[in-house]
Amino acid sequence: MSTLCFISENMERVLYLTWEHIWIVGSSLVIAMIIGIPLGVLITRHKNLAQRVLNTANVLMTIPSIALFGIMLPILAVMGFGLGKLPAVIALVLYSQLPIIRNTYTAILNVPPAVTDAGRGMGMNRWRLLREVEIPLAVPVILAGLRTAAVMNIGIAAIAAYIGAGGLGVLISQGISRTYEEMIIAGAVLVSLLAIIVDGAMALLERWVTPRGLQVQRRQNG
Amino acid sequence: MIRYESVTKVYGNGKDAVTALDNVSLEIQAGEVVILLGPSGCGKTTTLRLTNRLETLTRGTITINGQDIMQVDAVKLRQKIGYVIQEIGLFPNKTIAENVAVVPKLLGWSEERIRERVDELLWMTNLDPRTYRDRYPAELSGGQQQRVGVARGLAADPNILLMDEPFGAIDPINREQIQDEFLRLQAKLKKTVVFVSHDIHEAIKMGDRIALFDKGRLIQYDTPEAILTQPKNKFVADFVGADRALKVLGLIRTGDIMNRSPKNLLRMTDQAQDVLKFMDSKKFHYGIVLNGGKPMGYVTNRTLKYEQGPIRDLVETYPCLVEEKRNLRDVLSMMLMYNLMTLCVVDDNGDFIGTVSYNDIQKAIKESYTDEAERNGEGE
Repeated sequence: MSTLCFISENMERVLYLTWEHIWIVGSSLVIAMIIGIPLGVLITRHKNLAQRVLNTANVLMTIPSIALFGIMLPILAVMGFGLGKLPAVIALVLYSQLPIIRNTYTAILNVPPAVTDAGRGMGMNRWRLLREVEIPLAVPVILAGLRTAAVMNIGIAAIAAYIGAGGLGVLISQGISRTYEEMIIAGAVLVSLLAIIVDGAMALLERWVTPRGLQVQRRQNG
Repeated sequence: MIRYESVTKVYGNGKDAVTALDNVSLEIQAGEVVILLGPSGCGKTTTLRLTNRLETLTRGTITINGQDIMQVDAVKLRQKIGYVIQEIGLFPNKTIAENVAVVPKLLGWSEERIRERVDELLWMTNLDPRTYRDRYPAELSGGQQQRVGVARGLAADPNILLMDEPFGAIDPINREQIQDEFLRLQAKLKKTVVFVSHDIHEAIKMGDRIALFDKGRLIQYDTPEAILTQPKNKFVADFVGADRALKVLGLIRTGDIMNRSPKNLLRMTDQAQDVLKFMDSKKFHYGIVLNGGKPMGYVTNRTLKYEQGPIRDLVETYPCLVEEKRNLRDVLSMMLMYNLMTLCVVDDNGDFIGTVSYNDIQKAIKESYTDEAERNGEGE
């Protein structure tokens, strides 16, 4: 109850922090998408590159977030961006790469060979085949990767409050330093709630962007 | 016309090199259906895929109407050649109409023209466009999907159609039907068709010529009759099977060997004892009873022996009738099934036009193998 009181009494600040959180996660996701999806497609065409790219993304994923912020601090500090939103966004972009690249890569490779073979045999060039067939068929799986990345990043962004990125993590970090229980719980609950809502919304989006022909196919198989 | 000259395909290099196709030369005439036949890994699919440059030649040349395919842009080349594959490869995210329209769209046809062409093709392949145009591949049965595959291959009216085991994934009953449909279509369209198959029955049925491959080499390139009656070596003989005489029968139509003027014809109103006398004098064991030009059945000496009056009530009806275009394999099967040595042949209206007997069939087989002996004699 007291947590709810805290939230309602500090409504304006809570809303601002929530917005900030969404902004950090959202902008990093967009950037990650712009890098990750083309990269995922690219490595389906260059198999020897694929293992290296995926390994790199895997390694990035294993670095604890606090450690990554620590590593970036001196590097970005040279340019005057050691603290704040920029390092947070960069870290989130890096973390998102694995689910996005891996899902894109797998999704494109999972397009039935007969389908791509027929397309090539009929005289579709690579780009056309990609745009008209492979990407539409891969979209549901690519989106699932984005969904994983988004949910994960909502959690990691909470930690970014420690490097001054703002967001709902601020409630947790300040709550801890002030031993203000309601504030900690409010932050934790709101971050979790945000993650659940985004997860649900992305699931809906996934269904919405799945080509109708594929939906029919799934119904038939299910 | 497609000409393959010393075509060789090697995968990999150095020690790992595998020769998939070894110095193959053949010529495919315009308007013919040529079946590339052989066990898996024999090079038949490689040959097909070299033709539209889905694989790249290692050595040799392939020319289409005199033009070297390596001189043409691969993508442009493929747009001019129809391509139909076993797993069909319909795009699951596109409707049937969109699938058929792929190549016309690549060629930049107007929407109006594409729509007309799609409907025309769907009618042609026995799919009502009003029902199927806007459906998705997953909503169609395997046979229907394959019809769409054929329609898609024919979309831009290419002169050449490459088909890679196009009917391989369909159940036997539907396969027969779709093969028949394709043959009817081909009789009208007269495309140059290169057709990969591993099924000797399909090859005999569909092919004007068969190119039989083994281990990357072309073993024999001949008409189905010649492959069956004059196999070049043991591999060919084994591949066509010990029942090749039966397969030859599959190539001969009843109309080619039937007896068009049998003498033992009777009318319903003939009197039993008159008939018996007539048959005894001619040494017939049985007579065929007609009614207004249609075969009703037959009577035998034995059934007539102690009977009086018209033979109408004594007629045993034929359990089956043979159409003129039936192949002898089917006819022989009917004979065995119903234990009859002679069957009546009827035209499209069901009118009697002759008979076909077990002896006629035997003679036909003997003749096709005598031809073989003669031809072999000439060769030496």
